[in-house]
Amino acid sequence: MLILGIETATEQVGVAIGGHEGVIATFEVRRGRRHAEVLTPAIEFVCRQADIELGELGCIAVDVGPGLFTGMRVGLAAGKALAQALRLPMIGISSLDLLAFPCRHTDRVVVPVIDARKDEVFWSMYRQVPGGVQQVSPPAVGPPDELIGDLLARSQDVLCVGDGADRYRDQIVEGYRCEIGQPTHPPVGALVQLAHARALREEWVRPDQIEPVYLRPPDAQINWAVREARP
Amino acid sequence: MLLLRVDNLADTHAVSAAIAQLARPGDVIVLAGEMGAGKTAFAQGFGRALGVSEPITSPTFTLVHSYPTSRKLTLHHADLYRLDRTTDIAELALHELAAFDGIVLVEWGDVAGAGLGDHLEVRLTHADDDVDVELNDEALDGPDGGPDDGHPETDGFADNGVREIEIHASGGAWSGRWDRLCRALEGYRC
Repeated sequence: MLILGIETATEQVGVAIGGHEGVIATFEVRRGRRHAEVLTPAIEFVCRQADIELGELGCIAVDVGPGLFTGMRVGLAAGKALAQALRLPMIGISSLDLLAFPCRHTDRVVVPVIDARKDEVFWSMYRQVPGGVQQVSPPAVGPPDELIGDLLARSQDVLCVGDGADRYRDQIVEGYRCEIGQPTHPPVGALVQLAHARALREEWVRPDQIEPVYLRPPDAQINWAVREARP
Repeated sequence: MLLLRVDNLADTHAVSAAIAQLARPGDVIVLAGEMGAGKTAFAQGFGRALGVSEPITSPTFTLVHSYPTSRKLTLHHADLYRLDRTTDIAELALHELAAFDGIVLVEWGDVAGAGLGDHLEVRLTHADDDVDVELNDEALDGPDGGPDDGHPETDGFADNGVREIEIHASGGAWSGRWDRLCRALEGYRC
């Protein structure tokens, strides 16, 4: 089965196609943060260069974050639109999983750190298991100091990856002695690989069941007391 | 906190232009005040000072309007009035728009509270509480003569234009500019 992967949770726009034979084609652009302008032409380009018709696809995989709201809504909207039009199931995968997956051969704790803006980062922790990585702490959001506190509390040999680790490199290394490594952005090839493993087990959902992971404060009704004054 | 008094629309535009001159990419500016208090008029003066050539209209139906400016930044003009839940505000990702070479004006942004992070709040109120904003045809045309965008009463002032403007910085983003802001607006202080 062929899977189209769409990754827009950071400043990068990534598109990939893969299947039984592994990743067939990838496209990644890390400059400009022009998700809306780049994504659809990128999908068309990747399909054309890989000589794959949209009708041959069996599943659409998307990076559901956490990450940039402005990027994710473009990727999720495009992915859902394609899945609905082509009547395909979808698979959503965490941006943190995608960052940790390429580091599956290290015996250190892998800590993907994504820049959340507003002087905050998203992070989680992963440990090597046979065949991949496993999340050992739930995703969190907070200032880099909170991440450092978390690292100090666990006091393990750590590899930090992601654009948040890159941006706050000095602060993190000063607070907790660890290596800052690659990848910086969630690799879209990993999205297709991880989605394929799930697709084999038919662990997919309908397009309307795909939701972004925002990890922001809980929802509340807006206090519109002043609104009554308006017509 | 800075308390100003303006006598007419031109004064409001002058105040908003003075703030625009000190604004920089990354800023979020909350516009608070009742309907007809002049939030959109403020935004128009602000945009003009940044070199926005398109007419600025209230973004009630699209939630956010974005305008290129003559500087290397984009002016985003948001209106939260139509939203019901705080996650709806979060999903607009106004701080992301600011973080990427943007300045964000948020009408009715005071309901978002701390969720917006560091910001400048500009609260406009009628200086005279007795003044009733009459939304008759004459008032709708307003002194500004702005296009009808479904929110005409905020395009211009529907009355004599006397306003109190309260400016309050939340967080540290404006601490380095606060003195300059006070000096620039000295002539309008109460």
